Amino acid sequence: MYPFWEVPFFTSGMVIALIATFHILPCHLATGAFWFTVFVERKAYKENRPELLEFIKKYTLLILIFCFVIGSLSGVGIWYAATVASPRGISGLIHNYVWGWATEWVFFIIEIASIYVYYYTLGKIDPKSHLMMGWLYAWAAWISMIIITGILAFMLSSGKWVETGGFFDGFFNQTYWPQLLTRTALMFCIAGVYAAIVASTLRNKAVRKELVRAAGLWGVLGMLAGLAFTAWYLHRLPAHAKELWLDQSLPYLGHLLNVAGISYAIVLLWFVVCCLIRPKLAGPVSGIIILIVLFLGIGAGEGFREGARRPYIIDQYMYGNQIVARDIPAKHIKAEVPKFNKEGFLSHLFFRPDKINPDNKNQLIRAGSVVVHYQCGNCHALDRFGKMRPLKRLLANLEPESPEDIEGFLDSLGDYPYMPPFAGNELDRKAASEYLFSVVVRR
Amino acid sequence: MDIATYVNSMRDPAGLPFYPIVFQFLLVLTFALHIIMVNLVVGSTFLAIWEIWKRDSFGLRLSKALGRVITVGMSIAIVLGVAPLLFVQVIYDPFWYTATTLSAFWALLFLVVITLAFYAGYGFYLGNRRAEVDTAKTGWALVAAGLLLFTALFIHMLSMEQLMPQHWKEWIVSANGAVSYSGGEFHGVEFGRLLHILIPSFAVTGVFLMLYAAYFKDRGDYDPEYLEYVGQKGAWMAFWASALAIGAGFWWLGLIPQEFHFARNPFFLAGAILGVATTAYIGASVYRPQERAIPSALLMFLTVFVMCCAREALRMKHMSQAGYSIYNYPVNADWPSTILFFATFIMGLFVLYFPAVAAFEAGKVRSGQIATLDPSIGRKAVSAMIAWFVIVAGLGIIVSLKNGVLF
Repeated sequence: MYPFWEVPFFTSGMVIALIATFHILPCHLATGAFWFTVFVERKAYKENRPELLEFIKKYTLLILIFCFVIGSLSGVGIWYAATVASPRGISGLIHNYVWGWATEWVFFIIEIASIYVYYYTLGKIDPKSHLMMGWLYAWAAWISMIIITGILAFMLSSGKWVETGGFFDGFFNQTYWPQLLTRTALMFCIAGVYAAIVASTLRNKAVRKELVRAAGLWGVLGMLAGLAFTAWYLHRLPAHAKELWLDQSLPYLGHLLNVAGISYAIVLLWFVVCCLIRPKLAGPVSGIIILIVLFLGIGAGEGFREGARRPYIIDQYMYGNQIVARDIPAKHIKAEVPKFNKEGFLSHLFFRPDKINPDNKNQLIRAGSVVVHYQCGNCHALDRFGKMRPLKRLLANLEPESPEDIEGFLDSLGDYPYMPPFAGNELDRKAASEYLFSVVVRR
Repeated sequence: MDIATYVNSMRDPAGLPFYPIVFQFLLVLTFALHIIMVNLVVGSTFLAIWEIWKRDSFGLRLSKALGRVITVGMSIAIVLGVAPLLFVQVIYDPFWYTATTLSAFWALLFLVVITLAFYAGYGFYLGNRRAEVDTAKTGWALVAAGLLLFTALFIHMLSMEQLMPQHWKEWIVSANGAVSYSGGEFHGVEFGRLLHILIPSFAVTGVFLMLYAAYFKDRGDYDPEYLEYVGQKGAWMAFWASALAIGAGFWWLGLIPQEFHFARNPFFLAGAILGVATTAYIGASVYRPQERAIPSALLMFLTVFVMCCAREALRMKHMSQAGYSIYNYPVNADWPSTILFFATFIMGLFVLYFPAVAAFEAGKVRSGQIATLDPSIGRKAVSAMIAWFVIVAGLGIIVSLKNGVLF
């Protein structure tokens, strides 16, 4: 195991979640915006209306400043956050999907080349070629979504990959298509919000009204399609994920869906009222409020996706605590729980105390702290004031009277549908129990 | 557990999806492209400040032009940086993941700092874009320059920690057995190495200025005196920076463990010879910067690429001390995805011809004029994208139907 990084209060997993949620807004804008842009530019040329080009310039500059700073850096940020929070998890993804990411990178290069050329050559190259540059960007950006969705879907439902180890068997799995279509619909919605905000700042009143309405229409159509695709997506969730959600094993999943649904309704209402019916109401202030609502909705939706795959970080393959869950014969991968149960978890760690005397309580507690950090710390806050599934409080609810009570609890961990089993031998379990009991007693 | 057992046991259980030497080549190639863009951004930022401080009209004009280079260059540098970041995780995963988690706080702070640097760069560009010809402000550029130096330090530290596996454990496991999970480790800064990466920023930027002068020389609305000023400044800067970079390179060489005998390494020797040759060639070009711009750029690229190979050879030396070699990493070759990447890569080069031609032609016409391109170039580029989509979506539907996961 790699060194463990502990984030007080919230856990390292929340750092990824926060960056990932923040990434969705700019990256979906980057993928969706240019379909609207080329629509407006085409209209400008076809109807000989150069006044529409003011929007193109402003909207593209926003995309450059927002998407190609925040979007690209938060994309890299997810990698960094995943690296420090779940290094074996991201390694597992990269070693199976490196060519997928490398392929996506080719489209990133095309995106960046085409958007800068598009922005800086407006009015400097012939309109047909300029419009074609817009199409090039639109396709490249959407294709990058087509690729990354395969990897995200693989984490949720690894499909036939567990049998074949094949790239495409894992990529095109049961949640791939509905997830791609849902994200595609969402990208039109996000592009619509930004387009309406930018359009509302235009000087020409008639153009402003017209483009706010057009952006609203794109948003409404995207959201209506999104509703149908989301229903399909939820229907195609793996049975295990549905169980966690519908059987109330994890009630927070239902709450997250409610938040996402309410956000969806608010944004849809904003499109209808503030863009289609009364375009005057669309503006930077209401637009930014709607962006915050969108941010909350996306955070809830992504939180649902991440929660629904528990106890895995990669469906069926790797647990949230980065331990390999099962054999993948096609890749010569062996499950690690039986190995750790037999040979010990601590004995396979490099970053651990050298001396562990089972009869020395202090040494045992120190060793137990290491076991607990690795096996629980990805999802549970371990510090005294922890807020994210705090172990101290959860264990206190069990009212253990001795470390042995906790040992019994650790034995039964695998019975919870959303928890990985405890992986370790007698010494690991004893050490973890001593440490956890000391945590409860310290309250 | 010794360090060799640790690093070898931490290789990903899935193995590599293709042969390690292919990833290694891609790692070095993409890193070379990335570092050239990084150098251009760093050099342009400092030069933009310097040219404003000088307070002459050519300097101000150049500084404003560099504002655009800083923002566009930073975007390209970040996107180019994704590829080496990916490939290093594939073949050097035990080193990359260990060092980054040990310094998790700094790794994430790097992201914050580079974001702020990017916005400071935009602040400089947009703030001066509309300013009067004889005025410009350096405030945002100074902020960007300072932040860029911090990012360089953070990334340098993360690279160096990967080369120090023998110290990893002592950094976070204390003698009494307490383990630190703070992610706050910061070790291994070597100024010789850092300077050898940073000083070429001025050489790369210098060569860029030579290209700039050569590119605009045929455009009637560019003052020839201004272009001469830019070209000569670039050549002088590239010459002195290259010479200094050679000095820093030898300083770095002195810091490398002697048992590596790195001075005899063929990549190092080739890099050193090329570095000297490039410096001499640029030195001989200071009064003909526009004519010599393209050969200088090619030589500069070759030198950087070979130095990147030398850096990779040095990394392998360090890692072999920990009992690690990428060449015995287990391989589970996945041909379909490998073909997907290389086919896309070739298609990408074909597609990129369109924006390259558009940018080149648009820059060649006078202000207010419109360049007309061959419409088939754009059509073919977009058609290639649509073809890619149709092929991959078709493949996806077939795979999904075969596996019974579509409906």
